[in-house]
Amino acid sequence: MEKEKTFEDKMQELENIVGELESGEIDLESSIDKYTKAMKLVKECDTKLKNVEEKISKIVTENGQLEDFEIEE
Amino acid sequence: MEHKYTTVTAISRYIKFKLEADDNLKTVYIRGEISNFKAHTNGHLYFSLKDEFSKINAIMFNSMTKKLAFKPIEGTKVLVKGHITMYEGSGTCQVIVDNMQEDGIGNLYLAFEKLKQKLEMEGLFKAEHKRKIPSMPNKIGVITAPTGAAIRDIISTIKRRYPICQILLFPSLVQGEQAALDIVKNIEKANTYDLDVLIVGRGGGAIEDLWPFNEEIVARAIYNSNIPIISAVGHEVDFTIADFVADLRAPTPTGAAEMAVLSINDLINNLNQIKIRLNESIYKNLNYKKVLLDAVKNSFVIKRPMMMYESKKQFIDLIIQKLNKTIYDNLNNSKIKLEKYRHHYLLLNPTILYKEKILTLNSLIDKLEIMNPLNTLKRGYTLALQNNQIVKNIHDLKENDRLDVKFKNGVVTTIITKIKEEE
Repeated sequence: MEKEKTFEDKMQELENIVGELESGEIDLESSIDKYTKAMKLVKECDTKLKNVEEKISKIVTENGQLEDFEIEE
Repeated sequence: MEHKYTTVTAISRYIKFKLEADDNLKTVYIRGEISNFKAHTNGHLYFSLKDEFSKINAIMFNSMTKKLAFKPIEGTKVLVKGHITMYEGSGTCQVIVDNMQEDGIGNLYLAFEKLKQKLEMEGLFKAEHKRKIPSMPNKIGVITAPTGAAIRDIISTIKRRYPICQILLFPSLVQGEQAALDIVKNIEKANTYDLDVLIVGRGGGAIEDLWPFNEEIVARAIYNSNIPIISAVGHEVDFTIADFVADLRAPTPTGAAEMAVLSINDLINNLNQIKIRLNESIYKNLNYKKVLLDAVKNSFVIKRPMMMYESKKQFIDLIIQKLNKTIYDNLNNSKIKLEKYRHHYLLLNPTILYKEKILTLNSLIDKLEIMNPLNTLKRGYTLALQNNQIVKNIHDLKENDRLDVKFKNGVVTTIITKIKEEE
């Protein structure tokens, strides 16, 4: 199974598309395709960033199990 | 009352004498830290030895410095052998150092240098072995003590900057004799988890406390890790072997956390920027195409399409005109020719053509007339005919056959009564 694109990959792809569109050296159909694709990526990235589901830190115990970890103040 | 006053020099000399006469001060062994260090151009070393409460001046003459096994610097903890004297010039008592070696930690420093050199020779620090630290990790492993400032700083920094990533803490000893092995074990353990980056470190402390991070086994474990490692040992000024071999050295645990993740706010800003740029560029592109389209729309050809045909039409008209003229000319020529023929002599006097023929024909008829066998009849000959065929041989005849005899003016039918052949 192909690994899902990472956030970084998507950001990189976005940068590339923006660069391409900004260069203006692209035909109309492609530019619309690219734009549509880019907006989809933006949405995906946005969702990932804004669905801030704070991950609880875990501690790996001696036998390799994961337990919630809270900082002792 | 009369007092006997002595000179400063005299009293200083006396003190100096008393000091140098004391057996306990003839040879002293002192443990202390170098301070106010100054290497004079003449090769003598001037410095102080100090501890928590006191300080004493020291001098090591250039004749003695050749025996030094290390390069003394400010703050070096040393073991000194020497004797005490007083320098009359400033009235200070001082240690004349005969011999000096690094105290414990100084030996550690030597070991550090030696290991650093060895690993450097092996190429463990080379840039080509450094793995790239991903900027947006999903899972970060942290190998450090489960209590204390380091883990707290790391977790709070990551939570503040990039709360969507998961932190896995591998609790480890970070000082003491067992620490190095524990760190190695945890690096190996962490490598069995699906981590994007690993932070290995601890908070600040004395150099001995940081020592596990200078151990060779730790260096090799860091080198062998498949997960990129950020080292974060002590403070900004502390450099350990782990720092050299790690893929990235952070000055502090907080620094490591900052290096491990981008700020989510920065990312959101970036994304917004990208969105703006996308919209602007697509708008620009579309607008540009629209301008092109308008230009085409407004072009002469589209606005007055008949323009395109007009020239063609003109051309066709010209061709038709030419064609008509040609046909007319041809017809006319033919007509002229026809007129010419119509008045031709032969057409007007067609009999000329056959008058001559008639003459020839008549002469032929005359000739034929001469050949006509019937003409011989006119001269008195007859023709013997049987069934209208001229009989040329008597063998064709037999008795009692009918035989017609043709005369000039009629035919007589006879019966053959006798046939007589003649030679």
